[in-house]
Amino acid sequence: MKPYVARQLVQLVVVIIGISMLAFAILHVIGDPVLLLLPQNAGKEEYARYHKLLGLDQPVYVQYWRFASRAIQGDFGKSWYTDTPAFRLVLQRMAPTIYLTLAGLVMALLIALPLGILAALRRHSFVDNLCTMIAVAGQAMPIFWLGIMLIIVFAVRLKALPASGYGTWQHFLMPAFTLGAFLAPLTMRLVRSGVIEIMNMEYIKTARAKGLSERIVVIKHAFRNACIPVITVLGLQFGQLLGGAIVTETVFAWPGVATLAVESIRNQDFPVVQCAVVLLALIIVSVNFIVDMIVGLIDPRIRVGA
Amino acid sequence: MGRAAALAIAVLLALALAAPAGLQAQTKDDTVVYALQSDINTWDPPNSVLREAIILGYNVFDHLAARDTKTGTVGPSLALSWKALKDTTWEVKLRKGVKFHDGSPFSARDVKASFDRVLDPEKKMVARGNHSKIKSVEVVDESTVHFQTDGPYPLFAERLTALVMQSEKQIKEKGHEWMQEHPVGTGPYKFVKWDKKQEHLLVRNDEYWGAKPAFKHVRVRIIPETATQIAELISGGVDIIKAVPPDQMDVINKSGQAHTGTSPILRTAILQLDQAGRGGPNPFTDRRVRQAVNLAVDADAVIKHVLNGLGDRVATAINPMAFGFDPSVKPYKQDTARAKKLLAEAGYPNGIDFRFRTGLEVVEPAVLQTDDALAADMVKAGFRPQLNYIGDQTVYTAQVKEGKAGPMFNWSWGYYSIFDADAILFDVFKCGESWSYYCNKDLDELIISGRSTLDPKKRTEIYAKAQRLLFEDAAYVFKWGLRGVWGISNRVNYEAPRDEIDRMWLVTPRKK
Repeated sequence: MKPYVARQLVQLVVVIIGISMLAFAILHVIGDPVLLLLPQNAGKEEYARYHKLLGLDQPVYVQYWRFASRAIQGDFGKSWYTDTPAFRLVLQRMAPTIYLTLAGLVMALLIALPLGILAALRRHSFVDNLCTMIAVAGQAMPIFWLGIMLIIVFAVRLKALPASGYGTWQHFLMPAFTLGAFLAPLTMRLVRSGVIEIMNMEYIKTARAKGLSERIVVIKHAFRNACIPVITVLGLQFGQLLGGAIVTETVFAWPGVATLAVESIRNQDFPVVQCAVVLLALIIVSVNFIVDMIVGLIDPRIRVGA
Repeated sequence: MGRAAALAIAVLLALALAAPAGLQAQTKDDTVVYALQSDINTWDPPNSVLREAIILGYNVFDHLAARDTKTGTVGPSLALSWKALKDTTWEVKLRKGVKFHDGSPFSARDVKASFDRVLDPEKKMVARGNHSKIKSVEVVDESTVHFQTDGPYPLFAERLTALVMQSEKQIKEKGHEWMQEHPVGTGPYKFVKWDKKQEHLLVRNDEYWGAKPAFKHVRVRIIPETATQIAELISGGVDIIKAVPPDQMDVINKSGQAHTGTSPILRTAILQLDQAGRGGPNPFTDRRVRQAVNLAVDADAVIKHVLNGLGDRVATAINPMAFGFDPSVKPYKQDTARAKKLLAEAGYPNGIDFRFRTGLEVVEPAVLQTDDALAADMVKAGFRPQLNYIGDQTVYTAQVKEGKAGPMFNWSWGYYSIFDADAILFDVFKCGESWSYYCNKDLDELIISGRSTLDPKKRTEIYAKAQRLLFEDAAYVFKWGLRGVWGISNRVNYEAPRDEIDRMWLVTPRKK
């Protein structure tokens, strides 16, 4: 197990460094941030003065070195936009996004697991086709459309839920459902094919021969084993979820880090973009790492390297 | 399945409970709710380039002078009077008995501290350029301040409305970083809290020296998506929204819960032509071609039919509300035949092909539709514009600044709330400025002399001459002054403001 973990950790570090360099390079190519920081009527001397103040007149590698050497100590500099520490900003906005992605994941599972199992057990029946249709519909629906539709129905017409914002559990329902609907279709298909494959396995026949009820066969044996590919893919989809979170957060005015990252890119707020990119990369890579560990624990075949 | 489901539900519940509790709602009756599309970056207005920061700043801070919302003229606020002692010295008398929200008294020292802070070249204060004509600020006594300017500064009074007065105590004791998130002003509302990207809460300043606000609380909600804002307005979650797209006005007016309010605003739209040749040689360096394109388009019809009347035709880029506007210059009237003739005279009997860059819908609503209509008009006169759309504001602006946006591109200018012709002439028409694609020595002389004298009569004459010049030289294609559209809930009374500053202390509940 140890060499496996060590390898993963090294990969993690390399990926983070690579991403920070890439983000840095791209930011410096897209344009002049001072254009956005100063009003248009600022005049040429002001622009020159500001360039110097932000260190933008130095060569790129000097700027990167300054950034990297401070970042390791946790100092990502001050946001050019809000003049407050970038790290604190990103951290503040991280919690709502994590909550949202987790809630979306749970929602996705709540939709995908029952539907997937049902579809697998009643393969090729009307129920199966219905589940497939739902899956395809969910995949085809743009998130922002679904989100706005939910707002119109539940907030404007029925006045049952708040239209947007963050705070109570009611605020969670629509965004979580929107994100979950985004992820559910693929997950459902995976569960379905996983369960189908397992139901044909030898040990299922054995279990039935032992006299176990069909319900226990499905839940205890089939479902548990079908979880493995689902967990793996969900872990991989975590990155996708963050992408989906950007749109969901915008539609529902959710104060998360995804919208912070997008805004900071638009505002060319280098310190915040770099901080957000590095921290988000860290999270995604860590999630993948954890997923690998979990799968390794559940399935001895992977651990031992069969 | 039971256990997994139970676990899932438990996790969801735990998440919900762990999430911070909702903010205690004040009662609806004593709170006015205002929506912004994006959050401000800082509560230190001179350190922000965002209009939203300026607007919110107005509610918590005061300026030395303030614009009268009915007449549009600049009048006293924290300053009672000002006069020019010499061409380069101004004396300002301050109001007595004003207190900051932390109880400390407002005096001349706070004025000096606020200005010194902005003018310091070692600091990253964004608004420095606006006030750099001021060389120094001297405290004469508790309520008298002298300003020394770098040459005559006719915009002095206008610019007094552009800097909030901050507390010297806060600047010295609490420091720059603290001030980004903790505004302490003298204004009608006090800052309560800021949930970043979610909302701001303000509470009435019961010791305010001026007219007391009707609503005790202000809640500023950040709602990035326009559709969501409109949904909230109609469902009662928000009282005032701004920048309503023209095609959504009906939705609001027919809802029975809210209505729209419009006002002309300073922002004026034009099609800039590369007369200066910043992007290289092009047909628009010839005055006849520029006049031809002005004669080809029917701007009045576009305002009427595409904008539903939400625009005020102007002869040049000087807005009717700005000082120096000359109403005797009448806008070009469409004359396709004459346009064709001028084109032929200029040597283009078969018309011209050129790139017509458009974009920036965030700044100018319905710009894509209006530019389409204008392009169609141009085609009738023999022009062949190729519409080229750039969706990203940053990219668009960068191209303009670097001289690459020509030969024709859509542009507008907000004057930075300075109701004066100089506020557009210098930046958009003076030879060599970043945003100017026009180069005319005579105009430059007029611009310089216009800002070098304090005599309003002389300035009026100078700007009348400038407008005539711009009109006859057809510097750019002149379009119209924009109108702002606000969405206002039927439970409040509120007038759309001509300077786009939403003054929450002027909102009153509507009697049922």
